[in-house]
Amino acid sequence: MPSRRFSRPRAAVVLTAAVALLIAACSPGGGTTGEPTGEPVAGGTLTYASGDAEPSCLDPHVGGNYPQALIATQYLESLVSLSDDGEVIPWLATEWTESDDGLTWEFRLREDVTFTDGTPFDAEAVAANIEHVQDPATASSTGYLALAKIENVVAVDDHLVRLELSAPDSALLESLSQVWVAMESPKALERSQEENCAAPVGTGPFVVDEWERQESVTLVRNDDYASPPADVEVPEGATLPYLDSIVWRFIPDSASRYAALQSGEAQVIDNAQPDTIRSAEPDDAIEELDAPRPGAANRIELNSGKAPFDDERVREAFIRSVNVDDGIQSLFFGTAERSYSPLSSVEPLGLSEPDRFAVDTAAAADLLDEAGWDERDAEGYRVKDGERLTLDFPVSTNQSIPAEQSLFEQIQADAKTAGFQVNLHPLDLSSWYGALAENDYDLVSAPYTKVGPDVLRILYHSASIEPAPSGYFANLAQVDDAELDELLTRASATSDAGERADLYAQAQRIILDGYYILPLYDQQNHFLYSSTVRGLRAMPTVSTPTFAEAWLAS
Amino acid sequence: MIRPRTAVAGATAFRPTVAEAIAGLVLVLLLVAALWPNLLAPGDPLAVSHTDAFRPPSLTHLFGTDESGRDIYTRVVHGASESLRIGVLATAIGIGLAIVLGFVAGLGPRWLDFGTTRFVEVLFAFPGLLLALLFIVVTGPGVLSSTIAVGLATAPGYARIIRSQVRRTAAAEFVEAARVLGRGRLWIITRHILPNVTAALFVLATLGLGQAVIWVSSLSYLGLGAVPPAAEWGAMLAAGRTYIANFWWMTFFPGLAIVASAAAATVVGRGIQKRNRSAA
Repeated sequence: MPSRRFSRPRAAVVLTAAVALLIAACSPGGGTTGEPTGEPVAGGTLTYASGDAEPSCLDPHVGGNYPQALIATQYLESLVSLSDDGEVIPWLATEWTESDDGLTWEFRLREDVTFTDGTPFDAEAVAANIEHVQDPATASSTGYLALAKIENVVAVDDHLVRLELSAPDSALLESLSQVWVAMESPKALERSQEENCAAPVGTGPFVVDEWERQESVTLVRNDDYASPPADVEVPEGATLPYLDSIVWRFIPDSASRYAALQSGEAQVIDNAQPDTIRSAEPDDAIEELDAPRPGAANRIELNSGKAPFDDERVREAFIRSVNVDDGIQSLFFGTAERSYSPLSSVEPLGLSEPDRFAVDTAAAADLLDEAGWDERDAEGYRVKDGERLTLDFPVSTNQSIPAEQSLFEQIQADAKTAGFQVNLHPLDLSSWYGALAENDYDLVSAPYTKVGPDVLRILYHSASIEPAPSGYFANLAQVDDAELDELLTRASATSDAGERADLYAQAQRIILDGYYILPLYDQQNHFLYSSTVRGLRAMPTVSTPTFAEAWLAS
Repeated sequence: MIRPRTAVAGATAFRPTVAEAIAGLVLVLLLVAALWPNLLAPGDPLAVSHTDAFRPPSLTHLFGTDESGRDIYTRVVHGASESLRIGVLATAIGIGLAIVLGFVAGLGPRWLDFGTTRFVEVLFAFPGLLLALLFIVVTGPGVLSSTIAVGLATAPGYARIIRSQVRRTAAAEFVEAARVLGRGRLWIITRHILPNVTAALFVLATLGLGQAVIWVSSLSYLGLGAVPPAAEWGAMLAAGRTYIANFWWMTFFPGLAIVASAAAATVVGRGIQKRNRSAA
C-alpha cells in the first residue's frame, strides 16, 4: 500500500504554537521620540496597564488596598497632601489648627470646589465622608484604622470643620493625606454601595465614566477641575488636566504588560519586572518611575499566634537560616535594595539593623534543637513528637510579582536545608484573604502602605489582631506585647518630635528583637512609561502616580 | 474479512521509517528519563544556587539556569517522570473509562447503547480542555485533579472509537461462529472481542499519550496542576514566560521537551496504526 507518512497536522500545531510564543516575545519596541518639547499639549487618551488586582470596588473607602489607591488618585482628592520633602501642604483644606491638648482640630476648607456631580464641597461633605469611612456597613479597613481616633465631626460653618478626637493623634494629618480617606460627594455616597463602588464621585482631575469588568475602567477629563494640591504649578493659560481621557486596563500577566508598553498599546505600566526595567534602561523610548511606597517595608511576617512560631526560638531559627540577600541581588537586578527595618526607607524614623539578619545556620540548628525540634525524618525535615516542622505560606499572586514569588521559592529551599517544610500556596486575592481570616498561615507577606511611622501601630498593636469591618486584620504577625502596645499608643499621641522618634525606635527594636518579621525590601513600585508621556509624577503621599499634570507629546 | 489476531500481529513486519526511528529513540530517552532520571542528570532539580541565576546554555549548564540558579537540563530530565506519569495516568483513566462505556454501548441492549451513546455525544460536544477545566473548578487545582480531569476529558473520544470497534468485531463471522458453537458471552468477549480491540487501543493510547502530555502541561501552565518550584514542564514554561524577553532558554527547553514527547508519541502511534491497517 502507498506509504502515508505520519499525520503532520498535530505536530505542526504544536511547533507553530511554540514558535509563535517565541516570536511574540521578540516584538520590536516602540518608536523613539525626541527630547521633551517644553509646552504641554492638551488632549489625547492615555492607556495605563495595571498588573495589580482589579479592585472589586472603585471607592477606596471600602476595604482600602493599593490597587484602589492607584486608580482613585485620578478622581478623588484629600484634605491635605505632602510636599516632596514630606511637609504637610494644603489641598482641599487651606489651613488647619490643633488645640493645645491635641484633642480638637479645625480645618478651613476651599470654597471654590464642587464635586463632579455638582454637589458643593463643604464642611458637611467632610463630615459625611468621615462618617462613611467609620460606618461598619462600609466595610473599610485602611481608612477605618487611619481615622480610628476621630470621635466627632462638627461643621462649624460652611467651610470650617472641627474634628474631635478621643486621644491626641500625631499621625492625623498624614492619615488624612491618603487617598483611602479622600473626599467623595455626599450625595453620591447616599447611593447604594454597589452604585457608589461602580462610579465614585470626587473632585479630582478625572471622572469615572465606564467600568468594563475584567477589562478596563475609562476615566474622562473633569472639565471643571480647579483643586490641585498646593505644590502643583499650573502654567499660565493652561487648564488641568491635559489629557482627555485615561483607559485604565488590567493586564495581570507581566510579560503581556511589558509587550503592551513596547508595542505602544499602553503608555504606562505598573509592577514592572526587574529584568525588564534593566533591559529597558538603554531604550530611549521607555522611561522608569521608581516610587517606593511609604509605611511598612515588604516583609515576611511570622505568625506568632500559633505553633510552631509561637516559640521565639523557632522564629529566630527560621530567620537565621534563610539567605535573602543573594536572592534579592540576582532576582531584582539591582532594582531593589535589601531592607533590615520594619519601615520603608522613605520613612525617616525607620530603624535598620542589618547585623540581626546575618545568616547563621549553626545557630539556627541549635535553636531548633533547644526548642525540641531535635530529630529529622527521612526527608530531612525536623520533627517533634512525631510531627513535622511544617509552615504554610499563602502567597497572593496578585500582590507579588513573579520575582518575589521566586524569592519565596528560594527561601523555601533554604528553609528545607534547615529542616523546615515550607508549603507555598499561590492564591488569588480573595482566597488569600480567606486563608488569613481562618488563621491558616505561618508565613505571609502582605504589603501595607500608610504615610508615616504610625503604620507600626496598625501592624503591630495587639488591637489590630481584631479584624476591621472589612474582615481584614493588619497584625498578621499576631504580635501581642503589652510593652509594645504602650509604646505605640504613646508615640501616636505625642506631638513632640524627639519623643516620637525615640518611642518609635524602641517599638521597632521590640519588633525586631522578637523575630516577628523578616524584612525584604521597600514595597516595590516601579512604573515604566513611554517617553511620549510627560509630566507624570508620583504623589508624595502614598506614591501613586497622578495624571493631573500629564500630557502626551506627539 | 476480519481475521482473529492479537495486538502484536500488527507489528510483525517491522521496518521503521527514519522519522519513526527518531521518534522511537526520543520515547526511549523519555522513558529512561522518567524511570531513572539520575542516569541522565545526577543533580538535584530543586537545588538553588543564587550565584548561578539566569545563566545562558553552556557546557556546565547545557540548557542554562533559571531565576534561582537551578539547572534547567536537570529539571527537564526530572520533569519527564512527572509529565509522563501524569500523561500515562491520565490516558489510562481516559481509556479505562472509555472501555467501560464502549463495551456497554457496543454489546449491551439497544436502549443501553442508545443511552450511553447519547451521553458520550453530549460530553463530546464540549471541547476536552473545557471539560477538564470544569472538573478542576469543582475539585480544586492540583496534580491529582488535573490528571483525573484530563482522563475524563479524553474518555468520550476513546469511547466512541471503542464502541464502533466492538460492534464491528461482534458482528464478525468468527464471533458468530463462536456463538453458534455455544461459547459463553464472557468467553467471547475475552477471547475474541477484547484482543481485536486491544490493537486499536494500543494505538489510541500511544496517540493519546502525546495529547495528554500537552493538556497536562497546559493545565500546569495555567497554574491548575503542578505548582512551582516542581520540575514539571508546563509549570517551568509558565515560570519562564515572565522572563521570555530576556532569557529565552527558560521557556525554550521545557517547551522543546513537550513538543518532542508529543510529536514522538504521535509518530510512533501513527506508525503502529498504519501497520495495523495494512495487516488487516
